[in-house]
Amino acid sequence: MAQSIVNISHLSFGPANKPVLDNISLNVEAGHFMGIVGPNGAGKSTLINIIAGLIQPDGGHIDLMGECLTRFSRHRLLKQIGFLHQLHDHQPRLPMRVRDVVAMGLANYATPWKRTNEQQSIMDALALVDMAELANRDFRQLSGGQRQRVRLARALVKKPKLLLLDEPSAALDSVSQDRLFRLLRKLCDETGMCAIMVEHDIAAISSHVDSVACLNRQIHHHAMKGENIPDDVWRAMYGDHIQIVAHDAGCIGCHPETGAHHHG
Amino acid sequence: MVELLTDFIASPVMQASLLPALLIAVVTASMSVMVMAHRLSFLTVGVSHASLAGLGLAVSLSLPLLPVATVFAVVIALLLALMPERQGISEDAGTGILFAGSMALGIVLISTATTTRVDLFGLLFGNILTVSAEEKIWLYFLGGLILVAMLLASRAWWSIAFDAVTAEASGLPVGLLRMLLYGLVGLTVILCVKLAGIVLTAGLLVLPAACAWLWGRSLAGLWLLSVLFSITGTLAGLIWSYAYEWPSGASVVLALCVIFTASWLFNWGRTWGNQNDNKG
Repeated sequence: MAQSIVNISHLSFGPANKPVLDNISLNVEAGHFMGIVGPNGAGKSTLINIIAGLIQPDGGHIDLMGECLTRFSRHRLLKQIGFLHQLHDHQPRLPMRVRDVVAMGLANYATPWKRTNEQQSIMDALALVDMAELANRDFRQLSGGQRQRVRLARALVKKPKLLLLDEPSAALDSVSQDRLFRLLRKLCDETGMCAIMVEHDIAAISSHVDSVACLNRQIHHHAMKGENIPDDVWRAMYGDHIQIVAHDAGCIGCHPETGAHHHG
Repeated sequence: MVELLTDFIASPVMQASLLPALLIAVVTASMSVMVMAHRLSFLTVGVSHASLAGLGLAVSLSLPLLPVATVFAVVIALLLALMPERQGISEDAGTGILFAGSMALGIVLISTATTTRVDLFGLLFGNILTVSAEEKIWLYFLGGLILVAMLLASRAWWSIAFDAVTAEASGLPVGLLRMLLYGLVGLTVILCVKLAGIVLTAGLLVLPAACAWLWGRSLAGLWLLSVLFSITGTLAGLIWSYAYEWPSGASVVLALCVIFTASWLFNWGRTWGNQNDNKG
């Protein structure tokens, strides 16, 4: 049995009468690629931020890599986690080369006296996202999609055991999105990295992930690969006004393996 | 010109003040890149003006000026770091309140002091030419402390400036490092007061990095250029001050303003030229 990377039990966050997250329990193992889907305000980003140690939950328990996430263990545990968030709007325009941005993801970046073989790790991470040839380019001159790939390289440069991604494909075109999901799949399979990714579009991720957690304050369903999500789960997440449309191989623009998905 | 420079170098007053002035130039240049990166320009204005209360307190209690002002500036800077988070007050409003309140307190304390004559003009506008031996030791101590802290924590501060959320998620103690940065900005302000005075200190803590920002293409380049511009501005300012008997602090800030204007015009011309090339 693979090592448990994230084990969440009875986690809650927010006021008791209107919780943002309510009684969440999850276990994700090494090599597993999990997608989290749900409507706006469902608590997806909050859950990711809690696992990343940015927010303290109001109840429940989190184990990361088999160790309880506390104020004291946090510093050590987070060195094994890569994180790609979606709040990039207010970043200052610092004059930095692409390789400088990636270096910031190294576990010992802030303690340069401990650094070892930084440049090789940086170039390896950039090669993973096909950005090695732009290593010396000014980060400010890159397109939105290229910047997102560099941020992904920054999250991967420390070779994390757990990668947390909050809507990583938002700035990417459909080809880059597919390339990103394939890369994550490959890393999970080949390195044993565990990836948890928040995404809106279940159709885009369903052929790549091992499981999908349907979240709207609670986890309504945790579907494994190939398993269809029941209609009542969609309704519980998005409300009764949605129309469920079954897609099959005959649909134009659909992936045949995607199965049923929702339309609002 | 050669005669002026020879006289400048031979002048005993300039010889005595040149080393402290250059130390201040290197320290403020190093700190100014962090001030720009973390958007703390208004904080430097607030802390420098608020330090008048510390100086007033030292004057009214007949205590040494620089140590008391140093402690006061650091306390003010840390209060500003804590205030928005704890009390829900925006950082600029908090800075404005402490800035005005401390300045008013400083003016009252200095005006009621009867035991000591105070060089108010020197406090407000600085005068590196009158730096005493005790003050020099204090300046070297503060300067060394700030540079060592910069050396140890600069990468963490860059990381926070670029992306505080990811820095926190990678286990960096972001809150603690921000407090340390604010405290060091307080120390640097006191270091600058001797050269540029309370009113012009912010100029030394913003202009070198602002000039470097127009040229820098990497973080190391940004720091090197900031130090280069700061030393150039300080030397040019001191030479002007010697040649025309202008106040030293104002001369240095004016020299830095000239460097900034020239850099900005050059970059504007270059951008305009590139745009025209692209259209053609």
